[in-house]
Amino acid sequence: MIGRTPRWIVPIVGLIAMIWIVPIIGLLVTSIRPISEIILGWWSIQEFTLTLDAWILVWDKYPLAYAFWISCKIAIISTIIPMLLAPAAAYAFHFLKFRFRRLILILIINAFVLPNQVVIIPLFRLWRDLGMIDNIWSVIIPFAGLSFAWAVFLVKNYLEDFPYELIEAAQVDACGPLARFFYIVLPNSLTPIAAVGILQFMWTWNGLLLPVVFLRDELPLPALLARIQGVYDRNWDQVAVAAIITTIVPLMVFIIFQRFFTAGAQTKSGSKE
Amino acid sequence: MATLQLDKLKKCYGEVEVIENLELSIEEGSFTVFVGPSGCGKSTLLRMIAGLEEITAGELRIDGARVNDATPVERGVSMVFQNYALYPHMSVEKNIAFGLKMLGLPKDDIKRRVRAAAETLQIEPLLKRRPSQLSGGQRQRVAIGRAIVREPKLFLFDEPLSNLDAELRVTMRVELAKLHRQIGATMIYVTHDQTEALTLADKIVVLRDGKIEQAGTPMELYLDPANAFVAGFIGSPQMNFIPVTATGIDGGIRLKGSEMGNLDVVPVGQGWSKDMTLNLGVRPEHLQVGSDFPVKFDIAVDVVENLGGTRYVYGGTAGGHQVIAETRADAIPRPGDHLTVGFDPERARFFDQQGVRLRNALPS
Ligand SMILES: Nc1ncnc2c1ncn2[C@@H]1O[C@H](COP(=O)(O)OP(=O)(O)OP(=O)(O)O)[C@@H](O)[C@H]1O
Ligand SMILES: [Mg+2]
Repeated sequence: MIGRTPRWIVPIVGLIAMIWIVPIIGLLVTSIRPISEIILGWWSIQEFTLTLDAWILVWDKYPLAYAFWISCKIAIISTIIPMLLAPAAAYAFHFLKFRFRRLILILIINAFVLPNQVVIIPLFRLWRDLGMIDNIWSVIIPFAGLSFAWAVFLVKNYLEDFPYELIEAAQVDACGPLARFFYIVLPNSLTPIAAVGILQFMWTWNGLLLPVVFLRDELPLPALLARIQGVYDRNWDQVAVAAIITTIVPLMVFIIFQRFFTAGAQTKSGSKE
Repeated sequence: MATLQLDKLKKCYGEVEVIENLELSIEEGSFTVFVGPSGCGKSTLLRMIAGLEEITAGELRIDGARVNDATPVERGVSMVFQNYALYPHMSVEKNIAFGLKMLGLPKDDIKRRVRAAAETLQIEPLLKRRPSQLSGGQRQRVAIGRAIVREPKLFLFDEPLSNLDAELRVTMRVELAKLHRQIGATMIYVTHDQTEALTLADKIVVLRDGKIEQAGTPMELYLDPANAFVAGFIGSPQMNFIPVTATGIDGGIRLKGSEMGNLDVVPVGQGWSKDMTLNLGVRPEHLQVGSDFPVKFDIAVDVVENLGGTRYVYGGTAGGHQVIAETRADAIPRPGDHLTVGFDPERARFFDQQGVRLRNALPS
């Protein structure tokens, strides 16, 4: 029969799903079993005790709630900035004509090749001289700035396929450049903007290097996780708890917003195709 | 309503000149159609008039005022795009209202005008739908609705019917003609479908390579084409061109085709000379099957196209030229048949080797 799914698809997809899900189960199980049992392997079942000790301990000993709050602030602010600015920049570069357009674009896109490590030292000096160390903006600013390259690139690529007739129609309908952006381009670019938001949120939420270097007490979750890991040798249960708390938010963000990845461009409904 | 003057209008893309020193004036309330082969610059010219494309040189005047640098709104134009360009994220109602909203009209006014436009185009039941939930013809109506609701001085259409199927195209064509009569605004319409051009236009402008080949009423272009290009472009099927040679006679020219009898043109106008080779053009509808014509020749039938009321016979002459003749007789010729076809010399048009029309000195 045409269009029937071949049988081998199911086991293969199942296997891939297992590979992905086993570490998660491991993490969960580790967090709710005493350390003495985990040493034998989290999968061992000679003895099986459930305990919330690690959860309570971690919660008491570390400022988890505070770190969670810091993480939220950093990730949300560093995500909203490119979500707002990248479409505007992409629109300007793609649809408007102005001087030095290509040059500025190349400068921005060039940041693409700049990894976090490269900016750390110069930035560290700058922040120290400005007294910005342990201020979350010392992390937010480079997070947002470094994301700009790929965010603009991503949205601009999407706009390559944007039907130019819509923009012209808006022009005939009395829209200036700004109105065209807000009324026409923005509402039809939700897909790439959501993609920028999801990716940037996950990266900034999980970002470790910049927070560890620039922050002292205002630590976000991943930095705290690193600290928990460093204190004792055998506290895998506590590490697991911290890891779960750290992971849960990006996971939920992804599950809620993933439909934007599949939604696809719906801007081409204008004509009969 | 608006009058329009195009004065030495020019458009260059870098080095390439797409529109060359174009001169044209368009009367108030008229329906003007730009036709021409693909890539000749019809859309470019229309977009220059709309204000979507910069004018490289020359002057564009609407109602006598220079508008080269005016925005589309200041020019008072609306435009219907080939792919409709409906805003996909807005309902039909919002699509139509959008331009008015951007102009800052009061809500009640907008509502009333949208309602009136929807009524004119009979799309009231569709107002709440999204463009993706409409058929091609309905989208076309909405696109037209969006144009008329602004009550512009000048309507521009860029091949608005080319995405529709044949039947719908005929319906919409009739409705467009009705709409023009109803609102009486000046309209400019781009198409490469010459049936649309002939049926809709008050004035047809034939373009080729960014230049006007001829501008005039449909009948002027049909009966009195300025050159072989226009003669070939207007009319369907295409005009037959048969090479003939000229010999001098008293006060005129005698034409000899290799296979037909002599045809005397007396007196001749400018451009004629003895011993020249030229093309005789005669339309298929004037090249009739039958032998009671002053000029006639034989053809061998290749293909017959039966359109019901009339049939087009495609055949080759003894000299090896392909011609198309018409017959309304019930007897359908068959491939391989030999027929005599002929025409009234009045119907013949003459073009020199460069395609320039050669005229009789006086209309006889
Ligand atoms: N942005 C551009 N840059 C360079 N050349 C262009 C540009 N836009 C159009 N042209 C050229 O200008 C010429 C006229 O184009 P235009 O779109 O006006 O043709 P058209 O008559 O509308 O053709 P069609 O019937 O296929 O729509 C073409 O040769 C085209 O290649
Ligand atoms: Mg075109």
